Amino acid sequence: MEIHYRLERPIVMDVRLQVEGFTVLLGLSGEGKSTLLKAIAGLLPASGTPFGGLPVQQRPIGYLPQGYGLFPHLRAWENVAFPLLPGAGRRREAMDLLARVGLADWADRYPATLSGGQRQRVALARALARRPQLLLLDEPTSALDMATRDEILEDLIAEMRQLQIPVLAVTHDPHLATMADRMAVLAGGAIAQEGTPREVFAEPADGAVARLVGFRNIFPATVASASSTGVWVSGPGRRLQTTPRPWARPGMAVTVGIRSEEVEIQGVDASGENSLCLQVAHLRDEGLALRLKLRGALSLDVLLPRLRQRDGGTIDPSGSLQVHVAPEHVHLFPPQGAADSQPREGGRF
Amino acid sequence: MSTLVKTLPIAQPARLPRAWLPPLLGGAVLAFLLAPFAALVFATHWQDLHFAPGDGTAISVSLLYSLLSLALVMLLGTPLAWWLAHYHYRGKWLLDALLLLPLLTPPLAMGILLSSFYGPYAPVGGFLQHYGVILSNSPPAFVLAQVYGALPYFVVATRAAFEGVPEELEQISLTLGKTPWQTFWRVSLPLSQLGLAAGVALAWVRALGEFGIVLIVAYFPQGIPVKLWVNLQDIGLSAVYPLLWVFFLVAVPLPLWLGLRSRRQALF
Repeated sequence: MEIHYRLERPIVMDVRLQVEGFTVLLGLSGEGKSTLLKAIAGLLPASGTPFGGLPVQQRPIGYLPQGYGLFPHLRAWENVAFPLLPGAGRRREAMDLLARVGLADWADRYPATLSGGQRQRVALARALARRPQLLLLDEPTSALDMATRDEILEDLIAEMRQLQIPVLAVTHDPHLATMADRMAVLAGGAIAQEGTPREVFAEPADGAVARLVGFRNIFPATVASASSTGVWVSGPGRRLQTTPRPWARPGMAVTVGIRSEEVEIQGVDASGENSLCLQVAHLRDEGLALRLKLRGALSLDVLLPRLRQRDGGTIDPSGSLQVHVAPEHVHLFPPQGAADSQPREGGRF
Repeated sequence: MSTLVKTLPIAQPARLPRAWLPPLLGGAVLAFLLAPFAALVFATHWQDLHFAPGDGTAISVSLLYSLLSLALVMLLGTPLAWWLAHYHYRGKWLLDALLLLPLLTPPLAMGILLSSFYGPYAPVGGFLQHYGVILSNSPPAFVLAQVYGALPYFVVATRAAFEGVPEELEQISLTLGKTPWQTFWRVSLPLSQLGLAAGVALAWVRALGEFGIVLIVAYFPQGIPVKLWVNLQDIGLSAVYPLLWVFFLVAVPLPLWLGLRSRRQALF
């Protein structure tokens, strides 16, 4: 299903994206993700397809806001029965839908006595009672406990795949995007990139997308030379080698992105391309992993999983460290994308 | 050493200093408020309790017309309150200020305003009189006075109640295929019932007890408040108590019932 919506207020937006299966729209807070969903639901003035021009109550959509918007004065089954027409089969149909989301035993409970995940499923059952052609989910992870979040989401996504109703979920949580069939990134009122999560996570289109999908090291650089064997980029202090890019031309201003977890620790005397000796500026535990901030020719944020922590022996918190970034892990973003992104965290030459 | 530690009063519950002060103060203020009611019990001559002539009529006038006024107030006030709660635009503060005007006007002044607008010699009053509607010293005038007395209070209370309903839930109802009218009945109304009940109770008591406006606009027919005043003037204090008891008996049950009912239902 293709969605194309234009908004003037409260945010100027022109968004065109493809929704297939469970699709996640990723964007920072304030980008207007919730606004877009409300516009598609018809709750805000906007023009677009599908459903453009229809009054809210005639749009075949299921809309789950943050916190799910259950009616507090109605029991779970009454919430599910809300969109159903009055009649003898109303309660039975609501009970069938509740059973489908595994909550038949909770039918007589009021929403206040249900957990976040249960409320979400009641809201889903209620939305399904409407027989929607499109489900809209606003931050579906926000009201879930961290401990059970993944399980609940996996169940939810599996359920929605079974229903074969396209779902558009908006979130600022890249983790949810990794579980999607398809994802798109919203930046500056338009779609900056869309594709499968694997594509977007591996090859972000620009620095803004890269930051959203977890890159911590984003900095400007210039293409020094480019050939069929590789591209060399340089900043004031250091040259880095990366894989060949057909678009790269010498002198071109680009943005470089390096994932914290793709920086490796080397032995003391190692050398070669992309091998750097940097000063440890900061070091702290992050669960079982270790997060390092390195300064020197290049400022780098590094995340060492437990498995790789012995590579560097004991890390001296005030010493220096030899690190290496494989050329295929040095990401290059072309200039137009580079213009949008200002490094917020991580390194700079 | 360890025995010493055990006997030390480490975990003694921390008592708030002067925890007796708030209940004492609260109790004193409550007693202050209720003392006159207690006085009524003692002042009433229970052995010689009888109504003054015309008291029965006053009771039925008050009951009948107050119910009618209440219905009118709900009918007129609910759409206005809903509109004020839901529509946001520039310059709304002016509307809010205008709504406060009848609320802040002393009843006596309001009565004078009404008689200079609806009175027999006023343009609107004269026009209506031409069609047989007399809005002074008549049952319609009595109801009109009560409506003017109660409507502003009802609108203010009901509007606050409607504003307390999360707009998101009303929007969800629309996305679930319900019309705005169905949404009003199935979401807005049940979710604002506590405040609505307060609005109805307030309007009832205001209408029933309205004295100032009624005195100017509709001295006749006489309801309980004006009859109380007439009894006081003509006979004296002793002639007031029986009617006063009836007034409480009539005024209190509806607000009490509404209050208890909505409080019970609020426990979902």
